[in-house]
Amino acid sequence: MKKSTSIRLVLLGSASMLLAGCGDDGPPKDARFFSSIEKCSSIATEAECREAVAAAERTHAAEAPRFTRKEECEAEFGPENCAKQTASASDGGGSLFMPLLMGYMMGNMLSGNRYSQPVWRGTNNQAVMPGKGGGFFGVGSFGSNATSTSAFRPATQVAQVPRGGFGSTATSYRTSAGS
Amino acid sequence: MERLATTPRPDWRAHVERELGFVFHTIDGAPYWDETACYSFGEAEIDAIEAATGELEQMALALVDRVVAVGAEAYTRMRIPEIAWQAIEGSWKAGERNLYGRFDLRFAGDGPPQLLEYNADTPTALFEAAVVQWNWLEAIRHEADQFNSIHERLIEAWRQFGIGRGTVHFAAVRDHAEDEGTVEYLRDTAVQAGLATQRVAVEDIGWDGKGFRDLDNAPITTLFKLYPWEWLVAEPFGAHLLTGVARVIEPAWKMVLSNKAALALLWEMAPGHPNLLPAALDAGAIDGPLVRKPIYSREGANIQVLADGRVIAETGGGYGAEGFVYQGYAELPQFDGNYPVIGSWVVASQPAGMGIREDNTAITRDSSRFVPHFFV
Repeated sequence: MKKSTSIRLVLLGSASMLLAGCGDDGPPKDARFFSSIEKCSSIATEAECREAVAAAERTHAAEAPRFTRKEECEAEFGPENCAKQTASASDGGGSLFMPLLMGYMMGNMLSGNRYSQPVWRGTNNQAVMPGKGGGFFGVGSFGSNATSTSAFRPATQVAQVPRGGFGSTATSYRTSAGS
Repeated sequence: MERLATTPRPDWRAHVERELGFVFHTIDGAPYWDETACYSFGEAEIDAIEAATGELEQMALALVDRVVAVGAEAYTRMRIPEIAWQAIEGSWKAGERNLYGRFDLRFAGDGPPQLLEYNADTPTALFEAAVVQWNWLEAIRHEADQFNSIHERLIEAWRQFGIGRGTVHFAAVRDHAEDEGTVEYLRDTAVQAGLATQRVAVEDIGWDGKGFRDLDNAPITTLFKLYPWEWLVAEPFGAHLLTGVARVIEPAWKMVLSNKAALALLWEMAPGHPNLLPAALDAGAIDGPLVRKPIYSREGANIQVLADGRVIAETGGGYGAEGFVYQGYAELPQFDGNYPVIGSWVVASQPAGMGIREDNTAITRDSSRFVPHFFV
């Protein structure tokens, strides 16, 4: 007999989907953080950065916690970390308070399931991003004198290593690298 | 060898996606995995393909030995850039192991299998051959046999690499479902061999001045790359890779075999061998109709079929700058308007199984379909 007697897969197929289903909803392993679209240029292409920033801003506008009083917002996010917004019609009009959008997270770069999230400044100068169940994940910290334009220091920030030294030929041929 | 029409499993798409994680069965809206047909072989035919595959691999390894021994003159004829020579020689003399390769064979059941080309560095259609067609066989013709023990041979091959507790990084180009699927399958087999693994996109590999780093800045010490050596060495980090700072799979010596000039050198080494077609770097050395192939090309690009100096068939593409190799034209067999090519696998240099791709034209391309096989 020249055929395999049994084949088991541990990463592909239904086994792997089961694993993916019980993962946590914190930042993905390859999460990258940046404070502005300019700072994003070392991480991804301009188009990817614009898309990530726009998606995070949409999430921020739609899902950032809303407070009717500044004190309530500051109790959760810390002093000076909330801004007054004009509420949209769907939020009932008037004014409300939301955390300041301080930066962006981009992750899952490899899986085709790329996504981005807003990063806010929380109490004790923590940097936080929204989780799935309405909770927050600490993803780094800001300096104590941070202003709304300060860059935060992501928890997973690492020394900048030059990248992109491989891959240009595949891009130029727009092809599989297999044969 | 026969081509049989078969009834596809009614839910095959959902089945292969869910059970196997096979997501590139349809490419750009056209079928790639095709179970409306299959090929049937007799045992003697399979034995002939298996034996030819083993012999071709031994000839290929002998060719590497010969090219390394000759040195500069041979590399120059093959248009292998000088920057890579030392790494090729070093990896060969150190006996660096290789994982796999795929011989594309012309076979019609009417004579010996003949080598069209050897995809020695970045072969794909692996998951389809190893897993998807086996899964099809178990569902449709469980009683029949198949030339395919690729899966367990891959697991065993990983064990033999001697990687120990180190991590193997698996790299494919970003956002390419077929390449990512192939690499993820190989990573699956490495995990089953007990190895620690990570994924990294080719584009995300970092260089910190001393070593390669992944996106977490963890060191890359063993790199499996589904990305051709000839591209790597020409790119900005290529010189770093050639220092041997990371172990690379496939090893650098595969640059001798993935280069289509190897077809001409094989013919020089074993002229008249029944499993080879005449091949030369000079078109005038081949009698009769011939095929012109770029020394470096991929997925059937820039191929010309020439008869009496006239082009009778060709494919487009952006390859050919390094020159061409010429091979005697052996027309592919035709079954109901389909032209199959046998992709015969070696794992750790041993014959391991085969997959068949067929096209509506005589030049197999990236649009060709994968069709399963069995034998009795």
